[in-house]
Formats: sequence, structure tokens, C-alpha cells
Amino acid sequence: TLCFQAFLQMCNLPIRVICRANAEYMSPSGKVPFIHVGNQVVSELGPIVQFVKAKGHSLSDGLDEVQKAEMKAYMELVNNMLLTAELYLQWCDDVTVEEITHPRYGSPYPWPLNRILSYQKQWEVRRKMKAIGWAGKTLEQVLEDVDQCCHALSQRLGTQPYFFNKQPTELDALVFGHLFTILTTQLITDELSEKVKNYSNLTAFCRRIEQQYFEGHEKDCSTIAARSSKRSLLR
Amino acid sequence: MAAPMELSCWGGDWGLPSLHPESLTVMAYAKFSGAPLTVNTINNSWRAPKGDLPVLVSEDIVISQPAKILNFLRKQKYNADYDLSAKQGADTLAYIALLEEKLLPALLHTFWVEAENYCSVTKPWFASRIAFPLRLYLPGKMSREALNRILLTKGGPPLYSLTEVEAQIYRDAKECLNLLSKRLGTSQFFFGDTPTTLDAFVFGFLAPIYKVCFPRVQLQEHLKQLPNLCRFCDDILTCYFRLTVSGHSPAGQDTADANLQKLTQLVNKESNLIEKMDDNLRKSPQHAPRKLTTLKLAAGGEESSPMSRLSP
Repeated sequence: TLCFQAFLQMCNLPIRVICRANAEYMSPSGKVPFIHVGNQVVSELGPIVQFVKAKGHSLSDGLDEVQKAEMKAYMELVNNMLLTAELYLQWCDDVTVEEITHPRYGSPYPWPLNRILSYQKQWEVRRKMKAIGWAGKTLEQVLEDVDQCCHALSQRLGTQPYFFNKQPTELDALVFGHLFTILTTQLITDELSEKVKNYSNLTAFCRRIEQQYFEGHEKDCSTIAARSSKRSLLR
Repeated sequence: MAAPMELSCWGGDWGLPSLHPESLTVMAYAKFSGAPLTVNTINNSWRAPKGDLPVLVSEDIVISQPAKILNFLRKQKYNADYDLSAKQGADTLAYIALLEEKLLPALLHTFWVEAENYCSVTKPWFASRIAFPLRLYLPGKMSREALNRILLTKGGPPLYSLTEVEAQIYRDAKECLNLLSKRLGTSQFFFGDTPTTLDAFVFGFLAPIYKVCFPRVQLQEHLKQLPNLCRFCDDILTCYFRLTVSGHSPAGQDTADANLQKLTQLVNKESNLIEKMDDNLRKSPQHAPRKLTTLKLAAGGEESSPMSRLSP
């Protein structure tokens, strides 16, 4: 969710965040989050970026062709590695599943619906992991992959403020969303966030974007209180 | 480093050392980094392929996925990325992710899911390389796995039917090819003048699309409109694989070397013989003309026959 908020903040577009239990069903593609503008509903980062571009706002106009290719490649890397690792950790690591994911996912629903829906989602995610070959990976291997990905991102960022020099782009929003979530979500073990904390320029990057785009924006959602407790983790 | 390494993978055709993208990637990397691999192509023997190919066997270690195989080769000091900067290494990872996300589904679709292609080309080719009765089962299994993978990773809503998914993955693949073409530009390889891991991966994915003759070829036609990518594949094939017309690469290279050696030995023998004849000539002039012509013809005949055996 954070990558979308970050992206829209970077475009200077005002947004209101609303949490709903049936969000997955309201979305046209079944994926949260999505934006609702006038009488149009758009979901997923790619279409949202295009939608915003069509309305005249774009973050990557200043890039040349080769840089645009690089940006797309890095976005795929983040999706491929970080997103899959997050899914793996949430749904395939038994300890995390039992203690955190099942209760959180099923919380809006009464028993037994909460258990059924979360088992269904788990089965779906495990099927997908098997198809792409991640089912055979152990937790250590997944963490190693995350480390490699963070290393690559850290190398690419270097000492610049954003990935493509002075202006933030979609890539910055995406990376911020994932890294911030990893750094601030409470899990059984802290190994994942430790991996990210090893790269000081990445943590500085997250802090910078958080300060620039999120501070001072009040949102009417229950995650405000949660976020303030999470923020202390980042410090 | 002295441990012998053996790679088992799918064989090749249509001018390629292998039809399978992952096998091709590993073979290309081995050529780029100079690793001495013995390549065993699967061909209808009872040593049936179990599990995923390519598989690298070195002493007692068995490694199966391309990324792990390349890591192993790097640890054995066969590193094609030695000259890359850290940022270029990061770029490599990113572009490989791009290939796997955007190009691989369309590649799998062209080979294994598109009905005409599968029935007329892929299935008979793979079936001919697998022993009976596994050949009745394995191509079907590979096809189902490919379809599964495409649907699970790309087939969520709002794409509800297979035709919509297909349209989307081909759009993504064409965009990916365009991006690769822009990134390559006019340079010979992706990072300057020496090939690296990224070149191996790109070659492994592009070469099957480029060379294999399918009935339904929309991706190949798109690729042919990007001349720098075609030139990239052709360059690697001619420089690193040195294929003859029949397309048998490492074996062809070895026999060519062996033939060259034999020819050299033969020529040396003949020249020694000629010298001896020359001496005899000086000693017995009246018999010279007859002997000389027959000897010359014999020498010329023997020399020309190995040459004609070598020429394609």
C-alpha cells in the first residue's frame, strides 16, 4: 500500500486512505490497493501509473530510453525478489503463518470463515511458489536472495538521494513501500529487517522519503496509531 | 579446479547447441568464462532425465538450477563478471529478473502451450530425445507445468480467459525485447567488449526464439525487427560455438581439431617422403621422370582427400 501512497504523494496528488474489509472484492483485479477517482476504479501499480500519466502527471519523463529500461528492470527485480520473499515469509513459513498471518488475515470475519479464507489464500500462494520453483527453498535461501536484492539496490542507489539522481520516480516509490514494510512489520524473527538494516544507504533513503512525503499528512485510518509505534522501530 | 565437470542438458538443432533456454545459458557462460565442461546431451538412452535439466555433476556434487550452477562455476574461479563494477553487477540482477518476468512466460507459451507449435515441433523433438516409455509422459508433463506457471503468475483477474493472458504475455515479451534492444544499443555485448553473465542469460532466452522454426512465430518476427539483438545472437554463435552447418557444436570442434592434427601429420610424412624421393632422384636420373610423376600424383591424391573430408 505504501508504494502507492508514496507514488501519489510524489506526484503531489491528494489522497484519502480508507480501510475496508472487502477491499479485495471491490477491486477490479482482486488485488489491493486500488484507487477510486470519480467513477473510475484502477488497481495495481502499472495501471495506476499509466492512469496518472494520462491525467498529465508523470515522474519518469526526465529519463532517457536506456534509463527507462533500467528502471523497468529494477522494478521487476523488486517484484520478483522482495515481493515473493514477503509472500513466502507470510504464507510458507509455518511459524509465521500460525502466529501472525492467519489471525491477521482472518480478523474481519467470524469463525469459521476466517480459518477457511486464510487456508484458501495459503493454498493459493503455495501453489504459486511451487510453480515458480520457490517451494523447495528454505528460509535461509530466501533470506540470502533478499540480501542479494538489497545489495543490488544499495549498489545502484550509491550516495544519490534517489535512484535516478535528483528526482524521485516510480522505482523509488516501489522500493520505499517494500523496504518500509519490511523494516517496520513485527514478525517472529527480525532476520528480514536485519538484512535490510545492513545497508545504511537504504535505511537513510526510507527515512528521507518518509520525512519528505509522509510527515504532516493526517489520514483517517486506523493505521495511524500503528504507524507511530512502527516509526519508533525505524529510529 | 582440476575436478572434471560434466553437464547434462538437452541437445540442439536448427543451428543451436541446445534448444532449452536454461541449458543454453549455462553452456554460453561456460564458453565465456573458459570453464572446461564436458557436455552430455540427452539422446534416447536409458539414462533418463530425472528432474530438471541442466544438471552439473562434479565429483560428488550435483547442482541443478542455472543460477546455482553459475555460482558454483564462479567459486571454481571461472568468473565471467570479473571486470564488472558493483553497479553493473546490480544491473545484471535486475535485467535477469526482467527476462524471467516478462520474456520467459511468452517463451514457454511459444514452445509448450501454443497448440500448433507444441504438436508439430516441440513434442516430436523432445520425444525423439527421450527413451521409451518416458517419451509418452514427459513432454506432456513439461507442457502442463509451463501452462501452470503462466496461469499462476500471470493469469489472475482482470484477465479471465487464456486468450487474454496470451495477449498480455506477448505484449510484455515484445516490450521486454524492445527494452533489451535499447539497452544493447550498438555495443557488442551488454557491458562493453567482453561477454558476462547477463549476455549468457539473454543469449539463452533469445537464441531459441530466433532460430527454432515454428509454425506460429509472432515473437520471432518481432525479434527479427530488432537487428542488434539478432546480430548479438549470431555473433555469440559464430565466435563461441563455432557451429558447422549440421549444428553439432562441441563435438564438431573436437573432430575439426583432430582432423587438423591428422592432416598436419600426414603433410609432414609426405614432405619427408618427398625429400627422400628427391635424394633418390639425384642418385638415379634415368628412372626419375616415371617415378616422380607417380609419386607426385600419389602425394597430391593423399593430401587432397583429407582436405575434402573436412570441407563442409
